[in-house]
Amino acid sequence: MYKIIIPTRYLLKRRITYFAVMAVALCIFIVLVVMTVMTGLVSEFKQKNHRFAGDCVVGTKSLVGFAYYEDFIEMLERADFIKGVSPVIKSHALIRRRDSERYTRVEIMGIDPAMHSLATGFAETLYYHKDDVSNAFRPAYDPNLPGCILGIDLELQRDAQSEYTYQASPARVGYSISCLPLTAKGALAQAGTDMIDTKTFYYSDNTHSGLPRVDISAVYLPFEQAQQLCMAGAEKRANAIHIRFQPNVTLEEGCSKVAAIWQNFRQEKTGADLAYLLDNVTVQSWRSYRRESIAPMEQEQTVMSVMFGFVAITTVFVVQVVFYMIINHKRKDIGILKSIGVSDFDVLELFSGFALLVGVLGSGIGLFTGWVFLVKINRIEDWLFERFGFQLWDRTIYAIGEIPNRVELKVVVAIFLSAIAACLVGALLPSWKAARQRPVETLQVNPL
Amino acid sequence: MAPAMRGGYLSEGVPASDTMLKVFLWLRYLRKKKIVFLSIAAVAVSVSLLIVVASLFSGFINAFEQAAVEAIGDVVLYPPTRFAKYPLLIERLEQTETVDAATATMMMVPGLLHVGRGTGNVRPVEVWGIEPGRRDKVTGFKRFLLKQKNLPGEPTFDIPEAPEKTAGFVGIGVLGEPNEQTDEYDPAMAEQMIGTQVILTTGTASQPKKGDAAEPPIKRRVLLFTIADVLQTGVYQFDEACVYLPIEKLQQTLYPEDESPTAGQVLIKLADGAEPDVALAVIRGIWRNFVEEQLEGDPYLIQRTQVETSKELQKPFVAAYRKQMGILLVIFGVVSIGVILLIFCIFYMIVRLKQKDIAIIKSCGATSRSVAVVFVGFGACVGAVGSGIGAVLGFIITRNINVIENWIRIIFGLKLWRSSVYFFSKVPNEVDWFWAGRIVVLAVIAAAIGTLIPAIVAARTKPVEILRYE
Repeated sequence: MYKIIIPTRYLLKRRITYFAVMAVALCIFIVLVVMTVMTGLVSEFKQKNHRFAGDCVVGTKSLVGFAYYEDFIEMLERADFIKGVSPVIKSHALIRRRDSERYTRVEIMGIDPAMHSLATGFAETLYYHKDDVSNAFRPAYDPNLPGCILGIDLELQRDAQSEYTYQASPARVGYSISCLPLTAKGALAQAGTDMIDTKTFYYSDNTHSGLPRVDISAVYLPFEQAQQLCMAGAEKRANAIHIRFQPNVTLEEGCSKVAAIWQNFRQEKTGADLAYLLDNVTVQSWRSYRRESIAPMEQEQTVMSVMFGFVAITTVFVVQVVFYMIINHKRKDIGILKSIGVSDFDVLELFSGFALLVGVLGSGIGLFTGWVFLVKINRIEDWLFERFGFQLWDRTIYAIGEIPNRVELKVVVAIFLSAIAACLVGALLPSWKAARQRPVETLQVNPL
Repeated sequence: MAPAMRGGYLSEGVPASDTMLKVFLWLRYLRKKKIVFLSIAAVAVSVSLLIVVASLFSGFINAFEQAAVEAIGDVVLYPPTRFAKYPLLIERLEQTETVDAATATMMMVPGLLHVGRGTGNVRPVEVWGIEPGRRDKVTGFKRFLLKQKNLPGEPTFDIPEAPEKTAGFVGIGVLGEPNEQTDEYDPAMAEQMIGTQVILTTGTASQPKKGDAAEPPIKRRVLLFTIADVLQTGVYQFDEACVYLPIEKLQQTLYPEDESPTAGQVLIKLADGAEPDVALAVIRGIWRNFVEEQLEGDPYLIQRTQVETSKELQKPFVAAYRKQMGILLVIFGVVSIGVILLIFCIFYMIVRLKQKDIAIIKSCGATSRSVAVVFVGFGACVGAVGSGIGAVLGFIITRNINVIENWIRIIFGLKLWRSSVYFFSKVPNEVDWFWAGRIVVLAVIAAAIGTLIPAIVAARTKPVEILRYE
């Protein structure tokens, strides 16, 4: 009983304890807010990358691409663990709006929109054809014209609230797209005239993937037309195949199965004319495929965690000092307890329990205030923007929507446990010293 | 009432004067209460963290602004369309005291570069038409060239072995990717590519004839050139995509119908000490006169031409970065309140433990105010010492940040700084002394504030209560 009564009494009577609680609460508050926002941003970014790439990508970085992709797709479609497969043409091109002299460089992605939506989350990124993705390349104003889908930042301007203003239907705008067709050997194709590798497409829809580099430079074209623009030669080639697995298949399991199918396919094609193009093809999960985009954000999250780890050491020291003070002040209490038979271990346990109480209380306050702040964070930012023109992130520069504020249980648990551990560590030395005190020294009357 | 003194001392070993008393007590508490070192350490860690964060951000922002100046000079004259007779304009600009050097350019024409025969290595590029000698005067361009940087004279596109060939400079990132582990380019690989012929494809719309309402035909333009040198600026965006060609050759390729030399923009270096606002006004005036005299006074050219400093052009991005820096400093500053709490706790503990000392001092005639000043002053000293150590630590970490980053890569296999993400190949490592000074001063004040309540408690000590026999 005394192990409960005494810590509670110290908590209520010793106002200095409130400072330890405050220090813990302050650290917890800051860490919760920063980690929730960072985790939310990283998580959102990863989801967008996953949606863009599908589960697995079989492809090559070379713009020449690889042949016999149709045979490989047949093999994949026979596998029951695969939900969707989409071949893609990837290349670089120059695009010019028909009423402008200015050229811009873009990245072409030639796709079959229905297949691509089955393999990735492509349909969700469209605006006008979200529910009718198979007609994504048919402009609403004239379905007979060859359509193209532009990255949203190529066509529209983002405002200060990170919103875009859409028209009721896409404007009738033509785009000249010029490509550099390559042969299977990687050489430039002979062009008969200057116009032969330039084609006009008509704006049909936007894609808003949420990935800045995609939204500012991607242009989707019908697969066959992109193939004609970018690839010369009789044998058809593609640059990548995006794959989505069935829901009950894990990523690792799915990718290793695809890799096994690829190995078989590669062996089957040994001796074929363009088999050498298969040498540079890799099988990657979406995480590896988008590693260049994702890794920096994950690293920043790690660095921030480490930095806050150092800062949290301050909490340990505050707790240590407060306990040192309390124990010094309560030497006689400890002496009396020990003189009536309380062991060293019990004294240690008593003060560890007190540290636990401080940690739980401080964490509780910090987590609660942090949660409340996070719930209101977007409203606070809106208010600051309306009153003072201040935004945490300028939405015309950063491709961020609302500030992520979903508190994740694992983050809360991790922070809570860390705070408890910090308090226990901080109280360890003073508690140990208290346990080692000798009653005969602490209870003697002090001479003047 | 003055304390009794023997030979200038209150009692053996205790000096009489107020200042001496303070210093004596400070040193004594420092020696006896080792826990004070904890508060010094906490202040040092906090200060060094804030200095490092402020310096890295400031360094990045400065490098960002400097990269813009090195790419496009101090001022850019940017008409809405290309214009003729630019040599005359440049001559007039350089005649003013405000302008040190000027050069014409065709900026950022998008293209596709086929590098290496039969390899399928096609890279999207941004093509700049430049006058290499003049550009070097405006931007210090030559020091980025791998082959020519140590050669005397101006940089040149000429290939001595084949003077008739069209030559160009290529960014090192166009020729190959940086090493996955070290994020460094291989200069040897780049130097091997010097002398290689590459094919640039770009496009242009030829100008329609006057009165012709038909849309201008789109023309693909192909240009073969030889790599005369390779550029490594340390700015990822330029290294991975830039190709530099002679402006005359680029103009002939893109706009063969132009009868006289044309340029898209003019890059200007201001004279030392020139005021930007004054310089902009002078340049605008020269441009207006030039258009009126040489370009038929085209009002479209006069009104729609932008004349901006390169820093002004980067302003929205710099403002966003400064905001991020401010927010991060505020976050770490708030967390540093924990340090103030720590100092408060330590000093409160000292005051409580040393109540008898304080009571004795007060009973010998020291005022409450002087007792309070002892502790506040001690707190300020702790803050000063901690800040000093923190500043030194912050300086060492900041100056060696690239070494530290490299060690983290070697030990943990984690490449924290990538040029493809953070623009620059090296972490900026200049200490921002302005921010360091502010942080040090704030830390000293914060430490003094942390000791305020303990000092008041000490000042209110009643000797008669503390010293009576229990």
